[in-house]
Amino acid sequence: MSILLAAAASTLVFCAPGYPGGAGDAQPYVDQFAKAAAAAAGWPAGSLSAVYDPTEQGGLAKLNSADAVLAFVPYPFYVEHAAQLHLTPLAQADIAGTGTKEKWTLVAKNGRVTGASSLTGYSIASVAGYSPEFVRHSALSAWEVPANVKIEPVGQILSALRRVASGEQVVVLLDQTQAAALPTLPFASDLKAVMQSPELPVAIIAVVGDRLPAARAKTFQAGLLKMGQGTEAADALGSLKLQGFVMPQLPGDVAKPLTGKRPMAITKP
Amino acid sequence: MKGWSAIAGVAIMAATMGVACTFAPRRAATAPASVVRGSVPEGAPSVDARSVEERAAAIKAAADRSDHESDSKVRADLATEANSNADACLALDPGAAACQYGKAVATGLEARVHPARAGGLLGSMLQSLGKAEATDPNYDKAGPARVRALVLIRAPGWPLGPGDIDAGLAAARRAVALQPGYPPNVLALAEALSKTGDESGARENYAHALDLAQSLPSGPEREDWLHDAEEGLRASR
Repeated sequence: MSILLAAAASTLVFCAPGYPGGAGDAQPYVDQFAKAAAAAAGWPAGSLSAVYDPTEQGGLAKLNSADAVLAFVPYPFYVEHAAQLHLTPLAQADIAGTGTKEKWTLVAKNGRVTGASSLTGYSIASVAGYSPEFVRHSALSAWEVPANVKIEPVGQILSALRRVASGEQVVVLLDQTQAAALPTLPFASDLKAVMQSPELPVAIIAVVGDRLPAARAKTFQAGLLKMGQGTEAADALGSLKLQGFVMPQLPGDVAKPLTGKRPMAITKP
Repeated sequence: MKGWSAIAGVAIMAATMGVACTFAPRRAATAPASVVRGSVPEGAPSVDARSVEERAAAIKAAADRSDHESDSKVRADLATEANSNADACLALDPGAAACQYGKAVATGLEARVHPARAGGLLGSMLQSLGKAEATDPNYDKAGPARVRALVLIRAPGWPLGPGDIDAGLAAARRAVALQPGYPPNVLALAEALSKTGDESGARENYAHALDLAQSLPSGPEREDWLHDAEEGLRASR
């Protein structure tokens, strides 16, 4: 009975800071995903609900709610807030057209930036700019980014690239999709990719704190991993541009399989 | 559309729905029949003006109904009906602003029904709006520039979609320059300024739109404009 009550109150929080769209219109898609994921896990119908929030603060507020047991977030969000929210990764999303990992690219005006030291006085604009930890220590981990570099979250990446091309002291950190589209810009010849990150996860599904018993987390994880293997969940995955999920493999650490015999450890990024 | 995160997948669906609502009658297709009739270019050759008018009015009616319809199947039928009328209108007079504008509205309804195809549909909408604006920029009180502005500021931006806040702001300024006394144009400019981070400019324009709407006779459209202006003022505090 207590398991059923706990299940009834379970919420999966989607949060995507910097990406377009509002919560209300996304609801049918996250509802569809929650239903399919619960079914794949063998959870009772209706035992998992889902909400979407396009803002960092809104997402954090939702994740701090007692019923928020799972988070589906971009990797930069995970890096920034995993410790605070006590997130334990369950699975890593496999994205259509990208895969399970992506590289981020730093773009500057042609001839302006040759290394980390030349970033002094610059701003780094990025859709992931809400996560300075990710920008400095994940995407640009190969560089010692000067402390005075300002990191800006931007949703309008095209405007930021225009600022770069016009000669402002701005560089832009692009995700893999954005970087691949760079040659399509009419002012692409004014821009140069000056640095590329190692491969990093794209998005993570994680357990929030100890709100989900280990046994249930394990069944949910198993459900996620098999979602991409059948046709039943294809619609739910397809509408989110997903192909499925794999076990999380975070940089510097490999998530351990969850077992009922071992308490879930927080896997730090 | 490929290559972006699953989270963005949710986001683009949401944004697409939001953009599609741009084409709902509250802001885009609110032209009464008299305005539609008056906007058909006079003296256009080989045009059955009444038929163009009827087609444009039918598209508006479909958009009206779609806006208040919760059944997705009915919305899909309305989108099909609107597109059929838009195509027939264009067959009558490919150069008529009413037909190009109607095609944009119909395509917006289609994008709402098929968000997964939004990328191409939003691009088609912008093309139709460009043709309508080139033919008659004052159609539906600067509707082509106004709706273009709303699409550009609400659609997913590069590279996920055609959204472009800088171009959207420019289009909103054009709409206001053409028809400065029409509240939806000022509301579109306020929204564009808000998206660029100019909260002061946004507040100023929301307040102006509120004044403009308050000076108009009462009616459902006026109530919508008042609501939007008040909501914008609250959000931009």
